[in-house]
Amino acid sequence: MNNPSVTIRLDDNGRVYRPGETLLGEYQLQSVMPGDVKAIEVSVLWYSEGKGDEDMAVHEFRRLSAEDGDWIDPTRPARFDTILPNSPLSYDGVIVKIRWCVRVRVFLHRGKDLVGQKAFQLGDVSAAKVS
Amino acid sequence: MARSFRYYGKKRGNRRTGSSTLGSAGEMLFYAVFLLFGCVSAVALFYLLVIPQWRVSNEFVEHTCIVLQKRIAEEKDQDGTLYRPEFRIKYEIDGVEYFAWTYGIHKVSSSSRKNSQKILGRFTETKDPEHPIEYPCWYDPLNPEKVVLVRGGNWWMWLIAIVPVSFILIGGIGLIYRVLHWGKSAEHQAAMARHATRGDLFDTGNKAAGQFPNVPPGADITNSPGTRLAFRLPIGASPGWKLFGILLACVLWNGIVSVFVVFVAKDHLGGNPDWVLTLFLLPFVVVGIALIVCFIRQLLLTTGVGPTMVEISDHPLVPGRQYRLFVSQAGRLVMNSLCVSLVCEEKATYRQGTDTRTETKKVHDREVYRRDGFEVRRGLPFEDECELLVPEGAMHSFKSDHNEIHWKLVVAGDVAVWPNYKRDFPVVIHPAVGRTDT
Repeated sequence: MNNPSVTIRLDDNGRVYRPGETLLGEYQLQSVMPGDVKAIEVSVLWYSEGKGDEDMAVHEFRRLSAEDGDWIDPTRPARFDTILPNSPLSYDGVIVKIRWCVRVRVFLHRGKDLVGQKAFQLGDVSAAKVS
Repeated sequence: MARSFRYYGKKRGNRRTGSSTLGSAGEMLFYAVFLLFGCVSAVALFYLLVIPQWRVSNEFVEHTCIVLQKRIAEEKDQDGTLYRPEFRIKYEIDGVEYFAWTYGIHKVSSSSRKNSQKILGRFTETKDPEHPIEYPCWYDPLNPEKVVLVRGGNWWMWLIAIVPVSFILIGGIGLIYRVLHWGKSAEHQAAMARHATRGDLFDTGNKAAGQFPNVPPGADITNSPGTRLAFRLPIGASPGWKLFGILLACVLWNGIVSVFVVFVAKDHLGGNPDWVLTLFLLPFVVVGIALIVCFIRQLLLTTGVGPTMVEISDHPLVPGRQYRLFVSQAGRLVMNSLCVSLVCEEKATYRQGTDTRTETKKVHDREVYRRDGFEVRRGLPFEDECELLVPEGAMHSFKSDHNEIHWKLVVAGDVAVWPNYKRDFPVVIHPAVGRTDT
């Protein structure tokens, strides 16, 4: 049996998203049995990379919890959507970088959490170089 | 092979490899110990200080006594000798005579012998039993041997309560915070934090922050109208404050170093030079001289170079758009050149061990105006206008807890026979797309 995993797919995969546009996509769990899942969290977030300590902010957060009575079927793909914010835009700086991604975290009744992540680009900011 | 349970971590800042569960449990334990210590201290304080005080005021029975003897009791500790007044009194309850050394319910000592002496002076000993001098006293009905000459507490005793209350607050708030976040993912916690921030009624920049998250509002930039253009930009760091800062550093550093210099100089003059101390002191003296030079340079800049003003036709700026700039330089100067540049800097703050460090990197520096070889006369400031084009595809201003991208206009003056100067005027750039005019 394969290891459990999460796959995330974005509609129009690979294109640059603009602020105010709707991000659409779906996620699917592999090798996870019905009843194994305690909760699923879907987040659209940005985080920083580079020299500084990591900053992170969640733009969209949804949690489905079996304990709260939410219906979770790990055998079928689930869709998500969100309207993207005006800022911060994706940025490839020298010591500060800003990355956007969709992150799906699956809490299982047994074992470690499963985490799947899919990066995307918000805005069309030029990469920086040392001046 | 990845470990399923890591009990240690060594990465920098928040990016750690260790077990977050163990970390959270450790933090909870830490706060729980704080809370427990605070609660135990508070209970002890209550039983040892508050209850006896309350009983004296409410339950002790008023009676009369005579003072037989008085003295100042002394206690020696590491800080010196402490004093407290004591009186040997005699009182009679239901035909039974009691004798006791007493004053207040708590044996409070102080370092002031004079205060204790003053209290002793308020009571007179009865020398002649035929003419007793009576004073009020209060005794415990449950234990008549327990007696006091004064009621009421010392207000400063309540200050002791600050210690347990601080422990309870730190431990309690920390524990509640940790319990609320227990078992929650980083994303869940971030979502909770975002929700909490949205509810901040006192955040005046909330509207702009809601429209452009993590873009500084820049309200302080547009609160001063210009005389030629829409807004007069505020200066980043006032030359006066810079001068004050350098003066403070100069006085503190040289003040301390000069004490050692005097000692060394005395040794040298007395024919008994300490060369090790002299050599050790040398770099400190060099730094002190450098600070003096720095101060003199800043003094010349502050007093000699007049105020610089920059006005702009619109704000906040947007990439790809063009703006008018007005530059004014006052003073009495012969200028080799005056330049205005649009500068972008990345600023990253990170923890290294117990230190917090900040690194800044310039990622954009484009000259937007230059004028060579001219003179500024007193009362007739140099004034000129130019165009400012914000580059297409430029990153917008950004600010988060540890990372920042800030833009500024830098006015750099090359002055003949005078130190050169640079003055910063921060600006805010909004994202080009999705902008809604307000």
